[in-house]
Amino acid sequence: MRGKKDRLWPVLGTVCLLCTALLLLGFGWALKDAWAPSGGLALPSPTQATPQPGGEWTSLPEIKAIAIGDSLTRGVGDVAGKGYVADSLDELSKSMGKPVKLSGNLAVSGLEAAKLNELLDGKAMRDAVAGANLVLLTIGGNDLFRSSQQSGGSIAEGGGIDPELAKRLLPTTEAHLKAVMTKLRAINPSAKIAYVALYNPFYELAQLRPAIASILADWNGYAVKLAEADGNIVVVPTADLFEAQSARYLSSDHFHPNGAGYARIAIRVAQALD
Amino acid sequence: MRRDLELIRNETVKVWKKKRFAVIVLILLALVPVFVYAQMKIAQSSQGKYADWRAELRQRIADNTNALTSDRIPEEWKKWRVALVQQLQYYLDRDVNPNTPNAVRFTNTFLQNAVGLFIPLMVLAVASDIVSSERSGGTIKMLLTRPVRRWRILAAKLVTLSMYVSLILVTTAAVSYLVSGLVFGYGGWREPVFVGFKLNGSNMDTTGVHAIAQGVYMLMQLGLVWFSAMTVAVIAFMVSVLVRSTAASLVTMMAAVISGSILANMASSWHSAKYLFNVNLDLSVYLQGSPPPIEGMTLGFSLAVLAVWSLAAIGVSFAVFTRQDILA
Repeated sequence: MRGKKDRLWPVLGTVCLLCTALLLLGFGWALKDAWAPSGGLALPSPTQATPQPGGEWTSLPEIKAIAIGDSLTRGVGDVAGKGYVADSLDELSKSMGKPVKLSGNLAVSGLEAAKLNELLDGKAMRDAVAGANLVLLTIGGNDLFRSSQQSGGSIAEGGGIDPELAKRLLPTTEAHLKAVMTKLRAINPSAKIAYVALYNPFYELAQLRPAIASILADWNGYAVKLAEADGNIVVVPTADLFEAQSARYLSSDHFHPNGAGYARIAIRVAQALD
Repeated sequence: MRRDLELIRNETVKVWKKKRFAVIVLILLALVPVFVYAQMKIAQSSQGKYADWRAELRQRIADNTNALTSDRIPEEWKKWRVALVQQLQYYLDRDVNPNTPNAVRFTNTFLQNAVGLFIPLMVLAVASDIVSSERSGGTIKMLLTRPVRRWRILAAKLVTLSMYVSLILVTTAAVSYLVSGLVFGYGGWREPVFVGFKLNGSNMDTTGVHAIAQGVYMLMQLGLVWFSAMTVAVIAFMVSVLVRSTAASLVTMMAAVISGSILANMASSWHSAKYLFNVNLDLSVYLQGSPPPIEGMTLGFSLAVLAVWSLAAIGVSFAVFTRQDILA
């Protein structure tokens, strides 16, 4: 009994002292690093992802897709949060008889074309686009419709929308769209790009119809022109989907599609790609 | 001097014989595997979903950015997310994986999450009754009839307590490393971690960011955890002097620590709460570069607050203990 007790103290005491010394060392190091940092470790320089091999989709064992853009690609308004992306890829996979894999949905709600253009300079976007065979894209709705909201107006009623302002925004936004497409092409020369065109979310408001229709015609027409010039971009029209029974296919915010609305877009996208 | 050492030895062996430390080790051995298992499940579920860690990281950045666009989330969460997004972006841009699974990474994450509640709890297991148990057990009279000044006895107890705090922290890290290594592998000491992120408003200042090895990060984190654990220990020590019953002193301290972690989550607009010790316990936020619980808190500020509280607690303990009447 006595012997055991004698051994306990020297061991315990030494271990505790060593632990304290270690912790004090760590504490001092943390203070030094916070207040007087030194250079730090040298890291190997980051590698760039190489673009996916091009060629026809028929020769690929698997198609890698990436989704970028705004709230429509994100799926805002769909209670299930799915949006059109997953459904359209499933549909495409069925009709082509090969796996179509989504390597990421990098869409950010509220994104405007200029900001997307900026994001495409970042490594995250560049690598994602470079590694894809198919790029799904929605952009422009926030530029044209949200920016032209007047203060005080509620978007749910469409009352705050100023078609004149939206019209004035068209040229700059179209320039941004062109820049986005050019950048996508520069990052990945062979990927197919599906651009989901804009629809009129305020179709219920009859007095705004003609003005918005002309804006949409201009914008979507411009997108088609860009697509023709490129040759590997498809523009998926959606305007007609939300006209006849817009209340049925729009979500409660009267702006984004609901689940059923997204399902219709998904079918269109899959058909346009196959 | 010799007599002081003898006192410390006496106290240390006494705590050891109460099997407090054995209980702490048992708790660690029971809980750490649970956390390891949970972490393993998370790793497994994300493994099939993404092509590689870069794709996963990109998705995480996009998801967090989306959460930022909602108007309904509170301002503090937004700030926290902005910091997270920009940090993840920094890692991605430099092609460094912030989430490689290994035992060192697990231990660091575990310590980060444990500093607020788990570690204080274990410290309290020793600190709460180091004085009050003498009183409730009646042994205090025997202790004080020795020909030793009272403050020397209390000082011996304080030294003993700090020795156990060190032992508990190192044991926690060691158990976490050894157990998680079985699943994640024992490597990762030299993997890079970025430190030095500074949040300026809603923008991350990355000029001071530099990479350090993960092992060094663990050592620094342990050092900071030690400082906050010592503060908890010293304040619990004071409560143990003031309060007669061990249960009461334990409950008081638990309430203080728990309310601190609640306050840290909700008191960001109550600015003077930053002078409370329990809001400042999580020093690892400064190492991570995430926003502190209340604006205006810095590493220096938190250390100063904790130091002032500790010194005050030591002062009160000695003042009370040397003058107290010891009744039956």
